[in-house]
Amino acid sequence: MQQSVRADGGPPDQDIVELLRGGAVETAFERLVSRYEHKVYRLCCSILRDPDEAQDAAQESLLRVWKALPKYDQRASLSTWIYTITRNRCLTAIERRRIQESLADPAVELEVESGQANAPQRDEDQGAILRELVEELPDRYRKALTLYYYEERAYYEERAVGEVAQMLGVPEGTVKTNLQRARALLLERIRTLGLADPAQWLEKLA
Amino acid sequence: MNAADDSQSGDGLERALDRALQRNLLAPALPSGFRQRLQAAMIRRVEHNQATLSAALEREHEAQLAELRHDYVRLRQRTLGTLIGVAFAAGLLINFALPWISAHFGQNGVFALPAIGVAVGLALSVRVWWRRSSLARLLS
Repeated sequence: MQQSVRADGGPPDQDIVELLRGGAVETAFERLVSRYEHKVYRLCCSILRDPDEAQDAAQESLLRVWKALPKYDQRASLSTWIYTITRNRCLTAIERRRIQESLADPAVELEVESGQANAPQRDEDQGAILRELVEELPDRYRKALTLYYYEERAYYEERAVGEVAQMLGVPEGTVKTNLQRARALLLERIRTLGLADPAQWLEKLA
Repeated sequence: MNAADDSQSGDGLERALDRALQRNLLAPALPSGFRQRLQAAMIRRVEHNQATLSAALEREHEAQLAELRHDYVRLRQRTLGTLIGVAFAAGLLINFALPWISAHFGQNGVFALPAIGVAVGLALSVRVWWRRSSLARLLS
């Protein structure tokens, strides 16, 4: 996976900034897309929790980046700028979803909810139970945790925390605290599942 | 179990949780054709911008045409007004001039007025012809 730091250890995304300075906006955007499309999509998935909506939001975010790229003034780092645009786009999508939900027919909503209530409560896939527990975490813990494990594969631990902090627009300390609390809450909930040996159950999942 | 065992088992559980999360929280893969759709959206946006620009230019062009038409109508109205004014003034002039000419130059004197008109017309024509031919010479 491509990362935002150059192989020569130079400042992140300096190559893209240099291309922009030289007026090669299209080349700069191509490079930016190949470097950030996965991250932008993952951030959208983490915030919106819906792959289709996330795809639309990611595309719309990158379109906005493309449109605004010639005016990028380097006041913030390129990654911070891209993630801010993405988060704003996701917030707009959430707001739109809220409006649609408030306009939806309550009778239909009730029907959908009762249908969900009849669905099997316990999935045979043990991993799905863990993922479900993660989904049930408070939003700020869930976002930090999911993005951290998404990014950890590309970076070592400290850099993953830094990257998640940039993506969510919060300090690194907040990410670390949220990760700790998320893990503690998860363990607490795993213990309440009534498993004979939670550690063994987790080992089976690993 | 003492406190150290508790702590060890807690650490073990945390490590197991970490490994389980690593294994089970997989980053969602970018949908296939994402880049193509993005490029298509960019092209659509460019076309939309071009269409917007074209519509704006067309509107500006139409506004200019309307202004020109308005000016043209105003010019025609002014020309018509001038012609009517000149015709009335000429009629008024003839009304006074003919009795005066008859009184001073006799009955044949009335022919002097068209004769003067013809002379003036010929003089103007010759002048125009002369200027055009001079211009033609200069150009050649």
